[in-house]
Amino acid sequence: MLPVERVIGEEGLARSAEGLKLAMRLPWYRSLPFSVVEVASLAIDGAAVDLSDALIEYDGQTWPLAENGEKVDTFWFIRDSAFLVLPSQSAVAGSDHEVSLNLFVSPPYIPGMKRTNPQTSTLTVAA
Amino acid sequence: MATNATGPQTGVTLYSFTNEWLTRQFEVDTLLAEVAKRGLGPNIEIIGFQQFKEFPDVSDEYAETFKELIAANGLNPVSCAINSDRFLKPGQQPIEDAALVEYHKRQLRSAKKMGFSLVRYQFALPVHLLPEIAPYAEELDIRMGVEVHAPMWAGHPAVQAYGEMYDKLDTPYLGWIPDFGGTASRIPESMLDAARAKGASEDLLDKLKEVWLEDGMSHEKAGRLREWGMAHGHAPLHIQAACLAFFILSNHDPKSWAALVDRTIHIHGKFYGVSEDLVEEAIDYDTILPLFKDGGFTGTMVSEWEGHAYDTRDAFEQVRRHQAMARRIWGN
Repeated sequence: MLPVERVIGEEGLARSAEGLKLAMRLPWYRSLPFSVVEVASLAIDGAAVDLSDALIEYDGQTWPLAENGEKVDTFWFIRDSAFLVLPSQSAVAGSDHEVSLNLFVSPPYIPGMKRTNPQTSTLTVAA
Repeated sequence: MATNATGPQTGVTLYSFTNEWLTRQFEVDTLLAEVAKRGLGPNIEIIGFQQFKEFPDVSDEYAETFKELIAANGLNPVSCAINSDRFLKPGQQPIEDAALVEYHKRQLRSAKKMGFSLVRYQFALPVHLLPEIAPYAEELDIRMGVEVHAPMWAGHPAVQAYGEMYDKLDTPYLGWIPDFGGTASRIPESMLDAARAKGASEDLLDKLKEVWLEDGMSHEKAGRLREWGMAHGHAPLHIQAACLAFFILSNHDPKSWAALVDRTIHIHGKFYGVSEDLVEEAIDYDTILPLFKDGGFTGTMVSEWEGHAYDTRDAFEQVRRHQAMARRIWGN
């Protein structure tokens, strides 16, 4: 998989006080406002995860995933991971899980372009 | 340096090193040092939204740090690529004109304070807003070049509309930045190989080559191939891999650049793979580059390796070959 296609971040999957946390990378070559990125789907061990209570955590800020489309002036730096926080999900530290994440990206200067970026990896849950 | 130039200069855009950058192999300081060490500068271009976390609003502090890094490495920050992000809410109306103008001003201020001589901007900026932005560029004393990027080329209606506005505004602060992907002679074989490696079949790639030669905007042609591909049972990801070609390359006459030479302030030397004997696989540099030298261009062509969109070859070696190819053709 090319660096520009990757959506699962190096920090992987981890437990936290807020819930399970998944690192995401932006599958593009430059930073973009969060508003043009959509979490299309997430499955853990083959089961679709309900994202209705999910949050995005990035650079010291947290917002509901449902509000992501409004974030037109919050830029996801291309080098950074953003984290998808899943309050209803938990997993045992050290256990392995197959994670499938798909992000849609619509570059804001190329009308009509919408890229789909699926990736599946087996991740070990960090404590 | 560019001010004493008697002919076209070579340089590099750090965009060429996108793979190395995304995989965190370099920081800004170590990447600049690597470019300097390998002698790929001194002239460089940087995409603001790729290398600078603070973009579009770079702080005075970071600008100072950056200028010190540039000086320490003996580099010349020629161009900062800015973006005309007009479609911030997918599927909805573009942002208001006033907001788009302000978005450009923010990036112009940042580029200026970091010491860049010019910015690359994009056709997503509607031409009727140029009269509002040009005086600001003049005031800041930073030139703006719109990137003539595939599917655009010298004869495209949008380029002609910009040319008319340029004539009307008549300022040296506005110009062109040709990107040679607009006059590719063919789809690079390395790109087709990458699509094959992902599982795309030959009939899909044959159809791609056919649609690629047709007229239309990138997304229209991508739509045509998608429709055909879906109807013929091709997987969406194979179609997506094939569609990349529509967004980065188009097939127009390499000699057509002659019409833009006079107002060209900078060049994107787009390329996909230069062989050991210094020939690019898809773009006819031997025809294109003399047009600029003969036309009196004394700015910089930055080597822009875009193979990283589908390939992980050694970008530094590719840039070295591309610059050597340019020197061979220009005789400098």
